[in-house]
Amino acid sequence: MSKIDVRDLHFSYAKGPEVLKGLDFSLDGRSCALVGQNGAGKTTFVKLLKGLLRPSSGSILLDGRDIAGSSVPELARHVGLVFQNPNDQIFKNNVLDEVMFGPLQIGMGEGEARASALAALELVGLSGHEAVNPYDLGLSDRKMVSIAAILAMDTDVVIFDEPTIAQDHDGKERLARIVRDLSCQGKVVISILHDMDFVAQTFERVIAMAHGEVLLDADPRSVFSQRDVLERARLEQPTTAQLCHALGYEELFLSPQEFVDFYRSQHGSHA
Amino acid sequence: MKSISLFEEKHSFLNGLSPETKLLYVVVAIAFPALVGGTVPQLAIMLLSIALLAGSKILTKSKPIIAVSGFVLLTVVIVQTFFRGGAYTELFRIGPLVARREGFDYSLGIVLNVFNIIFAFCVFVLATKPSDMMQSMVRRGISPRLGYVFVSLFQIIPQMTEHTSTITDAQRSRGMQTEGSLGTRVRAFLPLISPVIMSSFTDTRERSIALEVRGFNSHERKTFLDEFVPSSADRPVRIALLALLTLGVAFFVLRIVGVVSWPR
Repeated sequence: MSKIDVRDLHFSYAKGPEVLKGLDFSLDGRSCALVGQNGAGKTTFVKLLKGLLRPSSGSILLDGRDIAGSSVPELARHVGLVFQNPNDQIFKNNVLDEVMFGPLQIGMGEGEARASALAALELVGLSGHEAVNPYDLGLSDRKMVSIAAILAMDTDVVIFDEPTIAQDHDGKERLARIVRDLSCQGKVVISILHDMDFVAQTFERVIAMAHGEVLLDADPRSVFSQRDVLERARLEQPTTAQLCHALGYEELFLSPQEFVDFYRSQHGSHA
Repeated sequence: MKSISLFEEKHSFLNGLSPETKLLYVVVAIAFPALVGGTVPQLAIMLLSIALLAGSKILTKSKPIIAVSGFVLLTVVIVQTFFRGGAYTELFRIGPLVARREGFDYSLGIVLNVFNIIFAFCVFVLATKPSDMMQSMVRRGISPRLGYVFVSLFQIIPQMTEHTSTITDAQRSRGMQTEGSLGTRVRAFLPLISPVIMSSFTDTRERSIALEVRGFNSHERKTFLDEFVPSSADRPVRIALLALLTLGVAFFVLRIVGVVSWPR
């Protein structure tokens, strides 16, 4: 199983104010959601993980080895990052070539890359679209192409930047399955998210960031129970939790199903 | 929004003048010395431009422009001083190279001329907001489409630069080498440029729809959201500039017919 150690990580752009103020934690097989207001430093952090930015001080260790010694293309074998906007990467004329680009770049053979790409497309639900031009697909499917392009590279670490954008219910369900699958395979899965319902139902760990610092770092239930802290960081609870709080319930419910189960146990199944 | 414009709002004397007045200043600054002749008017107007820039606290912003053109002009001085043809008076010698007074004087004339033009343009460019410029152009009957193209140029270039760097990050993230030998760079070209072009197409379509839903092509008479009102100095300055231009033309005509002459 892979592991990332973040040690006293500081970062600032040029002469600007400090964006990350001493992050210190480890990321392991538990799928992890990174939440926080815009400007909290989430994207900066994942760019540091990917080597696209270099820390002002502190270090990031991937399986015990400092990533400072590796170039971005070298790191690409180990760390995959799905960018927010699929249009930032798509350039091939058909979906299969686009998904095979990454695997080929990191040194997979043609056959292996093809097999890996087909498997990834199956996973994101785009089997049968191999020959389609990515720009003929809608935004949500194009986003899935960009996700498949990273999955096909079979990296130990997979990072998503806002994967739920433009996804409908089915798309989100599929994403949740992918996250759980990757996590089961022992990969480190990190995702930047604003959709708290999706976070609560999919991830095993939540790191809430504010102003370049970690505010909360625990399982979703513990994090979302800290209503006051979340409010100060301008973060919201999952909708069910908000609704039940407004209705005066003391308990925390992360999903509608949780509340329904609770309600039924209190009032009998006919309610 | 980011813009490549060199303009900075300083609420200065120059900021208060209308774009037309500043454009007229550029015309006069170039035409007047040419009409009158000699180095004195050139020098005087150049100093005036510098004083105006300093007064509006934007003289430092003209530094990079002066530095770049200064370097080019330096080569002109060197070439003219040492290699100008014809009879010459020797200034000094460096090995086989002879510095010639005629060439040196000639190149100084060029330097003065170019610096005068550059400083005059600085007065216009550094103190005029592109959108105010467009507004006055549209008021004068230029099509709003052209005006839009003019203003969007200032915004699209920084946007594209930013977008290109995101795309570079995205492709490097997929293991692509973008640095190294010429071959590597050539191979990296397509994956980098295609998303830029494809997204510019989609962006353009979205932008035109966004403009259209706000009535860009409507034939109704339009008002301006952020109307530029020139300061009270605008009119007198414009009159003074026109007077100066007229004076220059008059002097030029008199000189041609031989009534007056300017000491060279």
